Amino acid sequence: MKLKSAKKDLDDEQLRQLLERARVNDSKAIGILCSHLYSKIYRFIYYRVNAVEDAEDLTSEVCFRVIKSIQNQKGSFYAWIFRIASNLINDHYRRQSVRSNVEPAGDLIEEMIDKGNKQNELLEQKELRQSLKKLTDEQQEVVVLKFIEGYETDEIADMLGKSSGAIRAIQFRALAALRNNFITKEVD
Amino acid sequence: MEQDIELLLDNCINEMRKGKSIDECLAKYSQSATGGAGQLRPLLQLVQQLEILPKPEPAPEAISGTLINIGHHIAQRSMTSEKLTAAEKLQKKSSIFNIIRRPKIAWAFSAAFLFLVVLFSAATISANSVPGDILYPLKLATEKVKFLLTFNSEKKAELRLTFSDKRLQEMIAIFQQSGKLDTTLLKEMLDEAKLALEENKTPIDTASVFAAKLSHVNAYQKDVLEKIRPQVNLSSRKIVDEAINMCDMRGRWMRRMMNEENEISPDSSAPDSTGSPQQKPRSKQKSNRWQWGPGCDWMR
Repeated sequence: MKLKSAKKDLDDEQLRQLLERARVNDSKAIGILCSHLYSKIYRFIYYRVNAVEDAEDLTSEVCFRVIKSIQNQKGSFYAWIFRIASNLINDHYRRQSVRSNVEPAGDLIEEMIDKGNKQNELLEQKELRQSLKKLTDEQQEVVVLKFIEGYETDEIADMLGKSSGAIRAIQFRALAALRNNFITKEVD
Repeated sequence: MEQDIELLLDNCINEMRKGKSIDECLAKYSQSATGGAGQLRPLLQLVQQLEILPKPEPAPEAISGTLINIGHHIAQRSMTSEKLTAAEKLQKKSSIFNIIRRPKIAWAFSAAFLFLVVLFSAATISANSVPGDILYPLKLATEKVKFLLTFNSEKKAELRLTFSDKRLQEMIAIFQQSGKLDTTLLKEMLDEAKLALEENKTPIDTASVFAAKLSHVNAYQKDVLEKIRPQVNLSSRKIVDEAINMCDMRGRWMRRMMNEENEISPDSSAPDSTGSPQQKPRSKQKSNRWQWGPGCDWMR
């Protein structure tokens, strides 16, 4: 089975041009940039907060903050937006005080059934998602960016402001922790 | 060892992304993996499961809602920046007005404005004043200022002629009022006319026009003096006679200068018998020709 790489619908030059235009309040460029970012940020947030409405609200907030501060942005753009998203998720949990342990949203399960997934696969995915919730924030970020968004290790290192070696270590520990959680559930 | 297995895991994930199976990856790295292969396989299987997790897509309504809100935000931001720019401009403008609004500066401006209005009115009224009037010194001061502010020699000469005519009018006005001749005014009149010619530095071609004008003024002054001569007392009559003689001499000089000009002009470039030009350069000759001769100035 072939693994998927991150879809790059905007190359570096296109992104640079869009950012330049967005910085001078070009509404068209801001629109294109937001549309491009929205799905990426949404998925990143969704796997962390587990609720569609919260994910939408937080994604909108990230987009707002990006547009508000885009004139002062320096360095890696993706690292910057994922850092904003990560901070907002942390604030979200802080406000709620307790980390939610809710089941994956119903609409997502229905979506998976519609796509004809087998029942046992569905349950496995459900357990996997639950196990994912037990990882540390850092591990969740790396797993979502690597296996949901499909980014390379170096790209994730750039986004999270860490070395590639550190990301590989987090990835290894995250997968090992997930595996252990999985085995424990199967034994239970 | 742990670092090795982290790197191997990452390499295997990259290989799987290129289309290789778990077995192929593990076989490729079997030598370096040594005992780690058993540890890597379940992790790679887990990676495969993670990769097929659903990729939730946001609702189009959520995206469009966000875009609309951002659009409003951008519009507000540009309106605010426009307002700010307008406010800055207004502030700059008002800062100029604020200076004027300060009571002391406002008083100073009002006083200066009032002073200028009074000065201008007084100068206008003083135009008809004669020696002895309160405003007469102002009239002379205005003339001096006007003369000092005139930089063109032709206009300066014209002014001299005007001043000369004014002195004549003043002298007549006083004579009509009191029957006395103001000899100071008479002298000033003739002096201004004398200075008018000296002041004139116009090109030779247009100088004759001015000379004709001066000649006319001179003839008019002589005519006026001749008319008032029988009415003045004996002590003043001597001065009037002297003035009439002076005007007469000036008239002769003027005619002579104009005749010379007419004689020189047609063949100024014609060579003489020796073959050399008859005339010196005109600019040099002008300074010699356009000057009053003997008898055109007061003897004392």
